[in-house]
Amino acid sequence: MADTLHSSPILVKLVDTAEPTRGHALKPYQWTGGTRAYLVPMLIGAATLAVSLVVGFSETFREQFYFSYLVGWTFCLSLALGALFVVLIKHLTKASWIVALRRIPEALAASFPFLALLSIPIIIGLFDDHGLYHHWSIDGIADPGSEHYDEILAGKVAYLNKPFFLLRLAFYFVIWTLVSSKLWGLSLRQDLSGNAHIAAKQRKVSAWGLPLVALTTAFGSYDLLMSVDPHWFSTIFGVYFFAGAFMAAFCLIALLCMFLQRMGMLRGVVTREHYHDLGKLMFAFVVFWAYIAFSQYMLYWYGGIPEETIWFRHRLEHGWETHSAILLVAHFILPFLILLPRAVKRNLPLLAVMAVWLLVMQWFDHHWLAMPVLHYDQATFHWLDVSCWIGLTALFLGVTLWRLSRHALVPQGDPFLAKSLRFENV
Amino acid sequence: MADTHTTDAPHQEAPLVTGNLGIREITQLVSYHTEKRPPSTWYMAFAVSSTLLAVLLVMIAYLFWNGVGVWGNNNPVGWGWPIVNFVFWVGIGHAGTLISAILFLFRQRWRTAINRSAEAMTLFAVICALLFPTIHVGRVWVIYWTLPLPNQMEMWPQFKSPLLWDVFAVSVYFTVSLIFWYVGLIPDLGTLRDRARSAFRRRIMAFFALGWTGANRHWRNYEKTYLLLAALATPLVLSVHSVVSFDFAVSIIPGWHTTIFPPYFVAGAIFSGFAMVMTLLIIARKVYGIRNIITMDHLEKMAIIILVTGTMVGFAYITEFFIAWYSQVEYEQYAFLNRATGPYAWAYWIMMSCNLLFPQFFWIKRLRRSIPFLFITSIIVNIGMWFERFVITVISLHRDFLPSSWDYFNPTIVDILTLIGSFGLFLTLFLIFLRFLPMVAMAEVKMVLPEADPHHYEKH
Repeated sequence: MADTLHSSPILVKLVDTAEPTRGHALKPYQWTGGTRAYLVPMLIGAATLAVSLVVGFSETFREQFYFSYLVGWTFCLSLALGALFVVLIKHLTKASWIVALRRIPEALAASFPFLALLSIPIIIGLFDDHGLYHHWSIDGIADPGSEHYDEILAGKVAYLNKPFFLLRLAFYFVIWTLVSSKLWGLSLRQDLSGNAHIAAKQRKVSAWGLPLVALTTAFGSYDLLMSVDPHWFSTIFGVYFFAGAFMAAFCLIALLCMFLQRMGMLRGVVTREHYHDLGKLMFAFVVFWAYIAFSQYMLYWYGGIPEETIWFRHRLEHGWETHSAILLVAHFILPFLILLPRAVKRNLPLLAVMAVWLLVMQWFDHHWLAMPVLHYDQATFHWLDVSCWIGLTALFLGVTLWRLSRHALVPQGDPFLAKSLRFENV
Repeated sequence: MADTHTTDAPHQEAPLVTGNLGIREITQLVSYHTEKRPPSTWYMAFAVSSTLLAVLLVMIAYLFWNGVGVWGNNNPVGWGWPIVNFVFWVGIGHAGTLISAILFLFRQRWRTAINRSAEAMTLFAVICALLFPTIHVGRVWVIYWTLPLPNQMEMWPQFKSPLLWDVFAVSVYFTVSLIFWYVGLIPDLGTLRDRARSAFRRRIMAFFALGWTGANRHWRNYEKTYLLLAALATPLVLSVHSVVSFDFAVSIIPGWHTTIFPPYFVAGAIFSGFAMVMTLLIIARKVYGIRNIITMDHLEKMAIIILVTGTMVGFAYITEFFIAWYSQVEYEQYAFLNRATGPYAWAYWIMMSCNLLFPQFFWIKRLRRSIPFLFITSIIVNIGMWFERFVITVISLHRDFLPSSWDYFNPTIVDILTLIGSFGLFLTLFLIFLRFLPMVAMAEVKMVLPEADPHHYEKH
């Protein structure tokens, strides 16, 4: 896999828009994990994904496959977007504690071209009459003479139609790629030159990038996840998507730091103090997610308008009520209680368990958002759900690690690195 | 001079206190104003504000005598200006606790210069806010029925009503903010006590300083308490305005019933709160000569927060509008069309331009650092935020489900004078605060001086 990557410049560009700068990395900041660290996840991911694709596109499994794939893919997308938000906000607030581990969210956020490549099955699903968005994309939806005519969806045709959907998706990816690759490039240039004025440029890009990324994230979530059930609508949906994504990004950043440290890298760079802060942010955004989820549920429950409550009705019957309950308990109550004490956030094995747990819950949440549309009559997990998720995530992580291996692991030119290295919680 | 002092060099942090002020100078500069006779500007301002307060009291007396019919409220606009004013003032009361709690948890050290006065402002704004629903209930002499008090009639408030949640949310917020503010004051009260010349003043200050000596143990307990209170106050900053938004959003009125309301209201509240802090502090820092403590950099940071939260509010406006169309619910669509093009379009576009467009000027650094521009914008923002609540409350109600009852809502003179009078209450309280208490958290500002760093003297 790595060899194919090296021999195909287009694929390399998709994975990493920047030229490798590993040669300029200071010795303690170099990648010393060899090739296995990223090859193994890449191969596992590619193999699992290949099986899923082959089986998934067979007649029997196709409908299931699209949904499973959507959940896995939006999971990875949410991690990249969450990481991008972390980088943007870091620059705008001049946060210095996170500098030592900044390269990790930057590398995660540089995944958009690769994620765009992985969106092909979603696009195929768009054009399939039994596919993801067939509720609104089927022919004749706006034609009163057709058997597929739907009065409500006919009114949405100006927005929910295939060409415009594709155009928007392309636009989102252009914005995300533009912002993240600019920040990635600047950060790597800072490694080489140590030019302190690059920090000002990073701030500038983040300033215009943040509102654009926020807007496209919200509309992206409407298009990709909300329009699976096209009759339903909720103004908070974009914030809900962001809340989960931001929380999950902190979990993944912590896990990747721990992984690299186990491999012998970043030793003495990322300390317990940094993990403590990551733990605080995980905790904060677990609560924020719950606040947003509660707002959405309570306001629709209280209003009791059928076209709004039906979406929750589907998630409270035929076994989905168990999923909803798990979401409440395992995405909020338990992590809230467990992450509350200071000691847990400073205990790395426990923090790792919580990070994995919350990442699983982030996937479970997306599953809960999309899957009841397909299986409204019986809550279920399909093995394709898991294989698509594992395949995409492993590939996503492998590629991210490979991208990381091409550069210094620490933004060695950042003027606040020294401050971040000796950072302590008081 | 002070206004131009800053550093934008990316590799170093700008000093938070300028003008080479040391520990002693900060104490002197801040305490002094509570010890001497206030400047003549203060007396003039107090004369104006207490007159307005008198107007408020007259209006309330008039209201109690005649009943709520003296307002412009009608059917279907059952919630008129009093609720608009309530939400407006609660919103303003958000900046203080955000600055003192959330910015504290996020280690934003620049907050120390502004947190004291912002918290004081918060408390006074919440008092103004609580006034409006209280006088709106009609039979104000039984206002205690809003509390779940056991009684022989077995009468209980409606626990499913967000109006009751408001009682709890706002009063808890007020209580915690008050405690937080007071705890923060203790070290400074100790300073004032030690500086007091008269025995009378010393005894009062000593009473409120709770025996503060500045001992190591005191500081340890103080800092732990402060951290815990910050952690407790943080969810309150979000919950209060979320609950206020529930007042609207749990109903099924088009334009009110939308899920983005809680975070959108919170963003708007922070937006207006910061604008009010800015209005007050631009004047105070000049009159009291504390421009080296509340520096241009502080104002610029507040301007950035106004830009960010204003844009978030704008994002919510656009989302609401888009989803109203997307929902294909004709009543939702009409409600928003009516806002933008109906008889109150003028109010809608005032809201849009003041809240979404005007803060965008803060993208320009020169304008973020121009005192006149900051001052004007801070007032424009609060005009816009008052109109936002007007748009939400009155426009959504004035054309209800029964077109025969549609009408144009007109406020009465009592409405107008009560709103103006509430500014009297707010400003009077704020002026009293400026007169008697240190308007800057001296102890906290000293902690962000370079010499407070334990390693400061090790550097060569």
